[in-house]
Amino acid sequence: MRDVNVVVIFQSKVGLTGFASTEQLALAAAVGAVQGRANIRLRRLPDAAISPAANEGTTEYVAPRESDAVWADAIIVGMPAGPGSLSIGFERYFHSLDALRRQGKLEGKIGASFTQGFEAEPLMAAMRHAGLTTLPEPPETRDPAAPTAARLQGRRVAEAVRARRAPSNV
Amino acid sequence: MITIRPAGDRGHADHGWLNSWHTFSFANYHDPAHMGFRALRVINDDRVAPGKGFGAHAHRDMEIVSYVLEGSLAHKDSMGERHVIGPNTIQAMSAGTGIVHSEFNPSESEPVHFLQIWIEPAMEDVEPSYQQISFPPVEKHGRLRLLAGPHASNTEASAVIHQDAWVYAAELRAGEILSRHPAPGRYGWVQVARGNMLLNGQKLSEGDGAAISDERELSLAGDSPAGAEFLLFDLA
Repeated sequence: MRDVNVVVIFQSKVGLTGFASTEQLALAAAVGAVQGRANIRLRRLPDAAISPAANEGTTEYVAPRESDAVWADAIIVGMPAGPGSLSIGFERYFHSLDALRRQGKLEGKIGASFTQGFEAEPLMAAMRHAGLTTLPEPPETRDPAAPTAARLQGRRVAEAVRARRAPSNV
Repeated sequence: MITIRPAGDRGHADHGWLNSWHTFSFANYHDPAHMGFRALRVINDDRVAPGKGFGAHAHRDMEIVSYVLEGSLAHKDSMGERHVIGPNTIQAMSAGTGIVHSEFNPSESEPVHFLQIWIEPAMEDVEPSYQQISFPPVEKHGRLRLLAGPHASNTEASAVIHQDAWVYAAELRAGEILSRHPAPGRYGWVQVARGNMLLNGQKLSEGDGAAISDERELSLAGDSPAGAEFLLFDLA
């Protein structure tokens, strides 16, 4: 069986009061992907004020690199509940994928999100613009059971990668 | 039969922040002749610099036992477990359907030296779990202190793992001897954590391992003035 590679990218460890932390949801999405028998990489967007150049061995989460997007069959992104627009961090991140997008290297990869708010649509639009095929965010991500929903989302993504490979679905 | 796996023949990776010796194939070290022994898949002898560690990464279908020899290790995982462990503590994690965790040396000044052991589970898709048990060091002096096994022991607190494998730690003074009579069909592995020892008269030093099969009697003897510590695996 061919490997399924999923990168989970999140921004900000904290969540707003009353929401699960974005880190917690990212962990849940990653666990879901592992449950779906995917290899995972977990990446955190650097906060604007913090130096982005953290290396492996020095920090719990390194920042996403271009090579992660090349490696991944699917990209799952999450950011904290906010004003409903793309954060500066994710704007920068998708901008960093422009070269890959122009070369068509992101075509056919799957994109998905976990957000708990109204950010799913701008994230989805950015992913579609990058050439990813997006999976809808399950509505239950806005429930108090957000970690469960994020885990389910991770699992669905891993399964979707595999399903798209099956001859019957090509 | 006893087959020694000399410390210096192991795979080695020095990343600066991490100095790791691999008894069996691991990460970039791949040797088809050393893929594990019975259900024992990984013994990594790791030294991690202060403040450094392994960022968030995933495991699936593996029993992971960590045993700190010196220093301390901070653990954080997707089950919400956050702990700092030191010597004389068993940490066992069943990855089962999937977990994500990170491991860091929380000290600002002291390195951490620990063994990380992976044992293949007898079944897939078990519910992930975390166990941590500390014991007084005297419990491993001159005797085999059970760290983990397929079921709970009546005599001492130990971790339960999903495999017919028993893991013990012992510390022997020079000349101190332990005898064991493996049941027919059982296998063993000895891993020396520090000091020198004798296994059926054969000298083993720090970092050495020994695969044991078809031996009716095992004699484990300390051979260092400062004592020797080792792990013994009793395997199906």
